Amino acid sequence: MRDPVSIVMLILLAVLAYLVIWPFFQLVINTFTWSEGSRRISREAVPGQFTWFYWLQVTAGPISGKMLYGPLINTLITGIISTILALIAGGSLAWCIVRSDMPGKRWLQPILTLPYILPSFAVALAWETVFRSPKVGGQPGLYEAILGIAPPEWLSYGVVPISITLAIHYFPFAYLLVAGALATIDSQMEESALISGAGKLTILRRITFPVVAPAFVAAIILTFGKTIGQFALPFLLGAPTQFHTVATMIYANLALGLDSMAYVLAVILIAMSLLSIWLSNRFIKKKSGRFETISGKGFRSREIALGNWRWFIFSVVSLFGFVVGILPIILLGVQSVMLIDGFYGLENLTSHFWIGKSNLNIAGGEPGVIYNKIILGATWNTLKLAFLSAVFASVIGIIIAYIAVRRANNPLAVLLDQIAFIPFLFPTIAFGAMYLTLFAVPVGPIPALYGTFTLLVLISVVSRLPYSVKTGITAVTQIGQELEEAAEVAGASWGRRFRKIIMPLASSGIMSGMMVSFVGVMRELSLIILLITPATRVLMTAGFGYAEEGLTQLTNALVLIVALLTISGELILWKIGKGRMARLREKQS
Amino acid sequence: MAKISIRNLTKRYGDMTALNNVSLEIDNGEFLVLLGPSGCGKTTLLRCLAGLETPDNGEIIIGDEVIFSSKEKIMLPPGKRNLGMVFQSYALWPHMTVRDNVKFGLDVIKTPKEASDRQLDEVLAKLGMGDLSERYPSELSGGQQQRVALARLLATKPPVFLMDEPLSNLDARLRMDMRVELKRFQSDAGATTVYVTHDQTEAMTMSTRVVVMKNGEIQQVSPPAELYKQPQNTFVADFIGMPRINLIEMQGDGQIFSNGDITIDFGWKPGIKNVVLGARPEDLKISSNPKAHGETYRVMAILPNGPETIVQLQRGKTVIIGRIGHDIIFEKNQEVKVTYTQTSLNVYDADTQNLISPINNI
Repeated sequence: MRDPVSIVMLILLAVLAYLVIWPFFQLVINTFTWSEGSRRISREAVPGQFTWFYWLQVTAGPISGKMLYGPLINTLITGIISTILALIAGGSLAWCIVRSDMPGKRWLQPILTLPYILPSFAVALAWETVFRSPKVGGQPGLYEAILGIAPPEWLSYGVVPISITLAIHYFPFAYLLVAGALATIDSQMEESALISGAGKLTILRRITFPVVAPAFVAAIILTFGKTIGQFALPFLLGAPTQFHTVATMIYANLALGLDSMAYVLAVILIAMSLLSIWLSNRFIKKKSGRFETISGKGFRSREIALGNWRWFIFSVVSLFGFVVGILPIILLGVQSVMLIDGFYGLENLTSHFWIGKSNLNIAGGEPGVIYNKIILGATWNTLKLAFLSAVFASVIGIIIAYIAVRRANNPLAVLLDQIAFIPFLFPTIAFGAMYLTLFAVPVGPIPALYGTFTLLVLISVVSRLPYSVKTGITAVTQIGQELEEAAEVAGASWGRRFRKIIMPLASSGIMSGMMVSFVGVMRELSLIILLITPATRVLMTAGFGYAEEGLTQLTNALVLIVALLTISGELILWKIGKGRMARLREKQS
Repeated sequence: MAKISIRNLTKRYGDMTALNNVSLEIDNGEFLVLLGPSGCGKTTLLRCLAGLETPDNGEIIIGDEVIFSSKEKIMLPPGKRNLGMVFQSYALWPHMTVRDNVKFGLDVIKTPKEASDRQLDEVLAKLGMGDLSERYPSELSGGQQQRVALARLLATKPPVFLMDEPLSNLDARLRMDMRVELKRFQSDAGATTVYVTHDQTEAMTMSTRVVVMKNGEIQQVSPPAELYKQPQNTFVADFIGMPRINLIEMQGDGQIFSNGDITIDFGWKPGIKNVVLGARPEDLKISSNPKAHGETYRVMAILPNGPETIVQLQRGKTVIIGRIGHDIIFEKNQEVKVTYTQTSLNVYDADTQNLISPINNI
């Protein structure tokens, strides 16, 4: 076969099989194989031989309570509570924004999605700033400074703060899913109920809610699936009191050198994620339901009048938006300019952590952001990583999308599309664990990539593929097949057609996809935390490192930088999205 | 010179056979129209010619070159077949100006800049698009977009033109004008043209020959006038002509046949007992004079349509359609006398649905 598309397809299949499917098997195999380091745990260890040891230890051994069941229960509890909170908040906000005549929607909407745009770490840091307790070490938080008494420990660390901050980070996700479903409701359904004499609450209960119920259930499961994979947030708010989830336990085990135990936990975490996504797909039933889409059919959507409650609801939503979207950013900023952590007074303000040179009396001699070699290096690494990953992910994404759309009747093309989606199913920390096992040693012609920047780019690109293929498919589907056939009849080769017809026409889609990936990679922590070495530090991991060392001001400064970078990225995205999409629509109509 | 030979072409999509053993010879410079209802395989045939679909069986020869052969495993890519195509949607590239759209084909075949510029100016001027050459397709009207598609076809001067319902997106009046123009460009270029449409008026007015297709098979290949006068089977008879032909099942012996309501003398012997009579509405001679020759029918409905009037007539349980001049006025329920123009009637075998020619049966 001389068809270049088939050749590209086969190459991509081989590469993705190695980068997506093989790491999973490698991870599973590792959990059943004695590792080199296990000689100190067990005398029976024969490195390289098959064993049930790790699975037995984790699931039935004397440490299984601490290793698996405790964290598992914690994961389930925080996951369920945060999902319920996120759904209540996201669902009611979606209703207010999509269906009611609440004022100020236009600027409330972006504020309400802020917590999801920010690194999850940011909300956790802000929470810590307020509710930190000296009982577990360090300086008092804002709560104690204002009220004069220490906050109860359950408010500082553990189930409550983790559930609440997880809910704050994920409610916009639930909001987007439910809003998508609400937007597809035809008002005529509600109007006919109104004519039958039903009241507002009856309509909501009997008409609106049943119609969005499937989307609601799917949102519950997907949100839950996302919360259980979270690492940074529960680590920050749980680890100080030895409160562990499965995700943080993976990290803790690796830090202790119990790699194989960590891998067993990673496999369990992946199983939980797969189960939740499988359940949600069963509820949505439609194939396309793996991502929400809104059809553009002509139907009527009437806003429901809130009457006297209008301004009251507006105030509640605004206050909520301020507390979850804007306050955390302010807290990060405030925290980063305090000379001594925990003392709230004007004389304690300093610009040292931003523009100060190394001073041995402050923060162990760690210089401020602009003189700090680690931070500057991390900033450069962050931008480099985000840029390279975004470009590669988009280009590969559009090629896979092209193959999936144009060769839809080729089973290999369908397989390629499905493999590219698989990284979506892996909790990011487990995905990181897979790459740790895969690239620790050289395999054939592939060198040991552990500790290299290349590995970070590789995992970032692969983890972004499900999203970039999705945007690519949308872009390619919009390009009529005849446009390409016309060039084919003119004698243009596939390469030429791809460059001259497909790429320019898909460019706006690719550009926005690239920006989404850029922002996504920039705020990523759990994916790469296991693969980072001092030379390849990025802003998020440097911030995490400072948090572990207790240098909260620098952590806050770094997370604030990431937050501002992501927000500006989102703004640019929003702008080009509006401009370019409008022009393209005009051109193609 | 580009004579096209299509031999035993078959194309299947899963269980569905889109083309079933299709053979066709197309002469140099001919304007051949592929006509048929949707799903009949006409577009598939055109796309096989273009090289956008790979047939399962058969061969295609353009000029002296075998461009497709299942036996010899030859499948020339579209660009190497030396043909131009106009798509139903025009397929203008929205991100290129009119000029760049037309230029693309010239660039692909590496035309030197000077010759390319000259040819571009020439073709754009010829189509009256000279002033609009820097516009984008979205800034053009439907008719202008159609011209760009045509300019793109003409620019590289291919010896074969393929057109896939190129006028179906235009409004009725513009379509009429474009028909004339398309025909003129085609005969100026002398290119062998294969043109797909489901509009029979388009087929009749533009073609040198029409190919009627159904379920992936060719039903008839004829010049348009013959197609109308002598449809080879009842499908073609029914498909061609507006209003529809009257198809009446009749029984008889010798040359007089009847369906119980109406009785007609064919003037010749079909040689079988069960036939289907095909009578065009204009083959009916209708008279309001009660003393006129013929059987008596009742007028059921009168549908004036500009220069002509369509009438629906009934005798017993048989309903037929007739065509009269606009100056003849009938009233509903009026009784009229009807005779048939013997020489224009077509008789079909009721079993095979195929035409029984009087010449073969005398």
